[in-house]
Amino acid sequence: MTFHFQQAFRAFILLAFTVLIIKLHMTGEITKLINPKYEGLSKTAAIIFLILFFIQITRIWSTKKTSSHSCNHDHEGSNCGHHHDHGNTPFSSKKFISYAIIVFPLLTGFFLPPKVLDSSIADKKGGMAILANKKQKASEESTETGEFDSSDPWLEEQPLTGENSTGETSFIEDNAIPDLEYKNLMSKEEYDQLIQHLSQTDRIVMDDTVFATYYDEMSYDLEKYKGKEIELTGFAYKEEGLEQDQLVLSRFLITHCVADASVIGFLSEIPGAANIEEDTWISATGVLDVTTFNGVELPIIKVTKWNIVDEPKEPYLYPISIKIL
Amino acid sequence: MNRIFRTNLIDFTGILLIAFLLFVLSFGSGFGNPFELPPSVLNLNTIFLSILIEAMPFVLIGVLIAGSIQIFVTEEHIQRLIPKNKILAVIMSCVVGALFPACECGIVPIVRRLISKGVPIYAAMGFMLTGPLINPIVIASTYMAFGNDIQIAGLRMGLGFLIAVVVALIVSFVFKGTQFKNATHLLHTTTPKKNQSFTNKFWSMLTHSIDEFFDMAKFLILGAFLAAFVQTYMPAKALLEAGSGPISSLLVMMGLAYVLSLCSEADAFIGASFSSIFPTTSILGFLIFGPMIDLKNTLMMLSVFRVKFVMGMLALVASTVFITLMLVQSIL
Repeated sequence: MTFHFQQAFRAFILLAFTVLIIKLHMTGEITKLINPKYEGLSKTAAIIFLILFFIQITRIWSTKKTSSHSCNHDHEGSNCGHHHDHGNTPFSSKKFISYAIIVFPLLTGFFLPPKVLDSSIADKKGGMAILANKKQKASEESTETGEFDSSDPWLEEQPLTGENSTGETSFIEDNAIPDLEYKNLMSKEEYDQLIQHLSQTDRIVMDDTVFATYYDEMSYDLEKYKGKEIELTGFAYKEEGLEQDQLVLSRFLITHCVADASVIGFLSEIPGAANIEEDTWISATGVLDVTTFNGVELPIIKVTKWNIVDEPKEPYLYPISIKIL
Repeated sequence: MNRIFRTNLIDFTGILLIAFLLFVLSFGSGFGNPFELPPSVLNLNTIFLSILIEAMPFVLIGVLIAGSIQIFVTEEHIQRLIPKNKILAVIMSCVVGALFPACECGIVPIVRRLISKGVPIYAAMGFMLTGPLINPIVIASTYMAFGNDIQIAGLRMGLGFLIAVVVALIVSFVFKGTQFKNATHLLHTTTPKKNQSFTNKFWSMLTHSIDEFFDMAKFLILGAFLAAFVQTYMPAKALLEAGSGPISSLLVMMGLAYVLSLCSEADAFIGASFSSIFPTTSILGFLIFGPMIDLKNTLMMLSVFRVKFVMGMLALVASTVFITLMLVQSIL
């Protein structure tokens, strides 16, 4: 009987990945990493890792006769039609580096707490430049004014003919992973009702489910929502070029994982904004207005009432998916 | 006797490993932030882990499919199915890639296995380029992210397919052989033994998958780390200012797609957030180039192919995407 240290180590790594994923799910930290819609998929990964672990442990001990070279074929006639490391070749410094690389995420995963993305990431993602420009596209579409650099032929060809406000929109997403528990999953009717509700109500409540949808919807026609009351929660993000009493109440929208987070938010005018530190979570009520920033129209909230709140349990927003079937 | 001993030994080792892990874990909990790390490092770690956790299921599925190909597909199958005509073979591989719902993390092991089974390099590349780019989930998310406008999604798929065909055709003239790092092994491409039982085959498929996983994992991890590093420390704003004209903005968006290494199913929202800073062609550059080849993917390719080939592919895909989109822009 021979003990194969590397095979044992590989088994250990497979097990550690299983446990890491389970740990992230148990502690709920997984929602700080990926969209809950894909939780099922990541649980599947944990199960596959566990199965691979059980297979791998059979390779730790071998007798001379059944050499643990895993290709199931006789060694005289043919070789493996492939060439990878079976974990039996002698240990070298090159191997040490590759194992160190594989162990690295396990260490950081177990020992470092996942962090909720903060304003420094919002800044790296482009900050106001992104927010302002998103509006530029929107206003260009809805007003068709030549005020902006309209280098976008497709958008010009297809001015939005109020399709969105009449509820003709359809968010379609392939339900590759059906998960009925997922609250951002709704039928087309429910979605249309949401949009309908937005255009009729005088008091817009931006709860997590509808935040991104309403945000997009409103950016198509700023004037329509001017003067309406709005209620939202977001973290404070500041940037050079903002006024003393301004900050951005921002959120991150996560499609898959936090790596693809895009920042959305409302420029807000808050008395005493200068004293509010970045990354402070704020719940605010205010009135929508339109302003210009770097020559671009965008909505601004004149905040009337606000208070500091704890970071929400689910700090991220996820796009709504519509059931097709 | 020996057999009983062996079985018990395996059980025992397994239990020992589990116990050891639990022991290590019991130290880990409740640490908080033990080393007083700056927030940016924690941000980096979070993005890094999230890319990995998101990619793992796809990589595992990829290595399992690769394992199945290794064991259950023979060279005769491949030779029968792939047309002799290069152009036909390229078009067929691109169509198969378009129908096959892969993502760029899982596709490299599959491509490697296909090539070692005798699929010509150009056909394999066609498959690799269209696999992640064209599939229902990508179409749906692109459609959704661009204000329910089918045109961007349509152009992304259409132009993407065209570019993949062109690149694969060029590959068929420029590159010969498998382009594997260790070409010597290639002499022995095996046909699975016919007399092997299904259980045996299945078992060796699983062990192959494990080895494949360890081969890929280090490159995936490096790629994920680099991508997370770029996201944490590189200001997109600087890039935005760099890209003003149509040429530089296209280059900026392609560069961004490359370094961010986003999943093709999730990049549409990011792409859309740039959609009025830059012209449509630049956005298309972001949407088409990213899924075809990116930082994470390049590293994974390096685990299989020669450096020269990977760099050649990178240059080839980048220039084809660039030239095609510049042509599209001048026509419009």
